[in-house]
Amino acid sequence: MKKIITISLLSLLSTAAMGASFLDSVNRTKWGDLDVVWIEDNKFPRFNAAIYFQDGSLSDPFSGLTQGTFDQISSGTSKESEREISEFFDFYGADLKHTVTHEYSVFSVQGLTKDIGPVMGKVCELFSDAQYPQKELISYVSRSKSRLKNLVTSHSALADRIFRQISLTETPYAVPVEGTLATFDKLNQVGLKERLAELNNAKKVLYLTGPSDIKKLEDVITKKCNWSAKSSYKNLVLKKPSSQSAIYLVPVPGANQAQIRIGRYVIPDEIKGKYDHFSFLAGFLGGGFTSKLVQELRVKRGLTYSAGAYVSMQRDYGRAGIMTFSKNESAAEAISIIRDIFQDVTAKKFTPEEFKHQQGHQIGGFSFTFEETHAFLSQIMLYDHQQRDLKELVNYPDLIASLTPEALSQANLEAFPWERLTIVVVGDKSLEKSLSRIRPVRILNYQDYL
Amino acid sequence: MKFWLVLFALLMGCSSVTEKKTLSENIHIDVEELKLDNGLTALIVRNPKLPIFSLQLFYKVGGKNEVPGITGASHFLEHMMFKGAKKYGKSTMDFIIEGSGGSTNAYTTNDQTVYYENLPSTQLEKILDIESDRMENLLLDVDDFNKEREVVLEERKMRYENSPRGQLYLEMMQTLYKGTPYGRSVIGDIPDLKSVTREQIFKYFKRFYAPNNATLVLVGDVDISEAKSIIKEKFGKISSSPSVEEAHKELKEEDFVPKWTIHQTLAKKGESPNPIFMMAFPTYKAGHSKGYSLDVLSSIIGSGKSASLINQYILVEKPIATSMYSAHQSLEKSGFFFVGGELVRGVKLPEFREDLLKRLGGFCDSEITERNIQKVKNNYLTGLYGGLDTNAGLGSFLGERQLIFNDWRFYKKELDMYEKVTVNDVKAVCKEAFLKPSVFVSVWNMHK
Repeated sequence: MKKIITISLLSLLSTAAMGASFLDSVNRTKWGDLDVVWIEDNKFPRFNAAIYFQDGSLSDPFSGLTQGTFDQISSGTSKESEREISEFFDFYGADLKHTVTHEYSVFSVQGLTKDIGPVMGKVCELFSDAQYPQKELISYVSRSKSRLKNLVTSHSALADRIFRQISLTETPYAVPVEGTLATFDKLNQVGLKERLAELNNAKKVLYLTGPSDIKKLEDVITKKCNWSAKSSYKNLVLKKPSSQSAIYLVPVPGANQAQIRIGRYVIPDEIKGKYDHFSFLAGFLGGGFTSKLVQELRVKRGLTYSAGAYVSMQRDYGRAGIMTFSKNESAAEAISIIRDIFQDVTAKKFTPEEFKHQQGHQIGGFSFTFEETHAFLSQIMLYDHQQRDLKELVNYPDLIASLTPEALSQANLEAFPWERLTIVVVGDKSLEKSLSRIRPVRILNYQDYL
Repeated sequence: MKFWLVLFALLMGCSSVTEKKTLSENIHIDVEELKLDNGLTALIVRNPKLPIFSLQLFYKVGGKNEVPGITGASHFLEHMMFKGAKKYGKSTMDFIIEGSGGSTNAYTTNDQTVYYENLPSTQLEKILDIESDRMENLLLDVDDFNKEREVVLEERKMRYENSPRGQLYLEMMQTLYKGTPYGRSVIGDIPDLKSVTREQIFKYFKRFYAPNNATLVLVGDVDISEAKSIIKEKFGKISSSPSVEEAHKELKEEDFVPKWTIHQTLAKKGESPNPIFMMAFPTYKAGHSKGYSLDVLSSIIGSGKSASLINQYILVEKPIATSMYSAHQSLEKSGFFFVGGELVRGVKLPEFREDLLKRLGGFCDSEITERNIQKVKNNYLTGLYGGLDTNAGLGSFLGERQLIFNDWRFYKKELDMYEKVTVNDVKAVCKEAFLKPSVFVSVWNMHK
C-alpha cells in the first residue's frame, strides 16, 4: 500500500513537472494589433497557424452567414479566380481549414516552413480582398442545399443536428451555424463582404507552432494582413434549461437502428471552478471501453456498438450529453438503462474501484495531451476563450487525484438531472409505442430541422 | 538508440536547395529489429519526448483468408480478442489498459488485423504480457461469443445497411472482385454471422494467430534492450502455427484477378436521396511500380480544391455533383483505382457515366503536367509529416510495410519511386487504366 502511494505520488509529481515544462514552452507576444501565442517545434519543417476570431455565428442576422463567409473566402479576389487560388495553395501543399462556432471562429493553415511567406501572404490577400463572385456563390448555395437534403442518409449526423436545435431551443445557440435550407438563399456578395470586414476588425489571436524561423511570419502578418483587433465580445446570460416532459421521436425512412441523444445545455455558473469535476464525470460515464455506459450497454447487454458522454463548455454556455444507438427493439431499454445509470451515479452507487479506475485513466493519460503540438495549442486556445488559467490544464492530474466520489455524484446530479434532459430519438416510427412508456412522445418531421 | 527523423533537403520545385539528396536518403528512422525463433518479428523505435509509447501487433489475416460460411471471421475474432485470455480473464485487459491512462483498439481489413495500444511507458511489461497471453490462450467464452455476435450485427448495420456510402463501397467491392477472396465483406455476410460457431472461430484463431504470422511494432519512450528482453521472455515460448504458411500459399495471385471482362453497371436501392456512385478500374497490387504513378494520378484528378474532377463537376455554374473524389487502393494481392461522388438531383446516371469515362480519358492528356505532378509530391510530403507526428503514426507506417513487403525499409523504395515519377509515367498508367472495363455502382432511393 505504501509502495503504491509512493509510486502514485512520484507519478503525479513527474506529470506535474512535465506539464509545467510544456507550459514554459508557451510564448505570448504581440505583432501589431495581433496577439500571438506560439510554441517552437523543430520536429518537422512545417508550421501550423490557427487564427482565432472572437466572433462567431451569434453575430449572424440569419443562419449560416459566418459559415458562408469562411466557406467562400477563397472563391475569388479582384486579381484571381477560385481555381487560381486553390491551385496556388494546393501547389504548396498548404492545407486550409476553418471552424465556426457560435462564440468564435478559427481559420487554420498548415504547410511547409520554407513556404510560410507566400502561403500566409496569400491568406492575407484573401482576408483583405475576397470578392465572393456571384457565379461561385450560386454554385455554393446549390451544393449546400443538396448536402443538407442528403443529411437524412446519415442518421447520426441528423440526430446531432436535431438534438442541438431541440435541446437549445430556449437560447440563440439553437440556430444552426452551418445554415438552413431557408437561409442559404439570403447569402449575397454584399452581405458576405460586410461580414468579412467585421471579422477583420474582431479581436484575433494567432496560435502558431513550428521551427524557430516561422517568426519571420511577423513581417507578413503586420504588413499584408492589416488586421485590427477590437474586442467586441458581448456576454450572454442564459437561464438554466426548463423541465422536459417529452421524448422527441424523429421518424426517418429505412431506419433499422435508433440514434439516441440525451442531454441539456449548461450555463457557466453551474460549472465555474469545477471544470475538472465535469470533465471527470464525462470520462466516467462515457470515455472509453471501460466507461459506465459502454460497460452497461455494450458489454453486459450487447445493446449497442458504441456510447459516449461529454460535458463541454464555450464561454457563455456548454453542453452535457450522452450519445448512442441501438436496435429499434431495444431503444427504449437503452434509454431506461441510461436513466438508471444517472440515478445510480447520483446515489453514489458505484464502487471505489470504479472511481479509482477512472482517476487512473485520466491521470495516466495526461501525457498524451502534449504529443501533438498543434493539438496542445488548440487546447490552449479553448482555455483562452473560456478565460481560464492555463495552470488548470497542467494541474489537471492533481485536481483529478483530489476528487472524491461525493464530488462525482454531485457533478452527475448537476449535469444530468433527468427531468431537465432533452431526449431525441431518430429511428423508425414504430418506436413510438415503446418510448411512450418512458415519457410522452412527440413526433417531429426531420425536414423542419434542415 | 534514439528515434531520429531527419529531413535535410526537399525535392521541391520552388526550393532553394543547393545539395541534392534523394528523399529516401534524407528520411532516416532508427529501427531496432528482433526476430525470434518462432517467427515473430519485432521492430522497436525509441522516442523519449514523452513518457508514453505505442504498441501495435499486426496479424497477417483478414477478409481474404475467409471462405464462404465463415465470412467475417477475422473481424469477429478481432472483437473476441478483447474478451479475455487465460491469464488476463474476462474484462481484465481493458481495465488494465484504460486504468493506467492508456487506450486500445483494433481494426480488420481484407489483408490484416491490427491491435494497437497507447500507454504510459511504465506499462510496457504489462501490455506485452497481455498481448502474448491473448495470442496464445484466447478464451473465446461461449456466452461472450453469443453476446458479441449481436454487437457485430449492429456494427454491420451501422457500416452498411444504415450507411449509403458503406453500402456503395461494399457493392463496388463485391462486383469488382466477384468470385475472388476480395469480393467478400470484411464484416461478413449476415447468414454467416448468425450461424458461425465458436469452434469455427477457434480453429481460425489457432491457424492464424501465431508468432510466425505476426509483426510487433513498439515506438516511444522505451529502453531498447529491456524491450527486447521482455519480448523474448513473453513471446519466445509461444509455438508457431504449422499451417499458416500453407494458408498464405493457397491464395494465389491469379485468384484475385477480377473475372469479368466487360463493363459492369449496378444500380442499388438505398436511402440516399441523391445518387451516389463509384466507378472502379482494376490495377496492380501493393508495391508494383505502376501503383505509384496511379497514386499520383488519383491525387491530380481527385485531391484538393484544384483537382480536375472538382473543377469539372462541382465548381461550375451548374454543379453536376456536390462531392467528387478519387483514390488508388493497393491491396496485398491486387489493386483498384476508383472515382466516386454524390450527384445532384436530376443528373441522369447513364449519361453521367459516359461523360465521366470520356473526361477521365481526356484527363490523361490535359491534366498530367509537370506542375501537377510537383503539386502532388509537395502534398505527399506534408501528408508524410502529419502521418509520422505521433508514435502510433510511425508505428503504423513501419508495421504496414513489414507486413506487406516483409521489409519495413520498403518506404525508402516507395519514396524513390514517388520521387522518380514523370509525366510520361502518369500519362501511360492513366491511358492504360481508363481503357480497361470498369465497374459502375450507384445507390439511390429512386432505384428499384
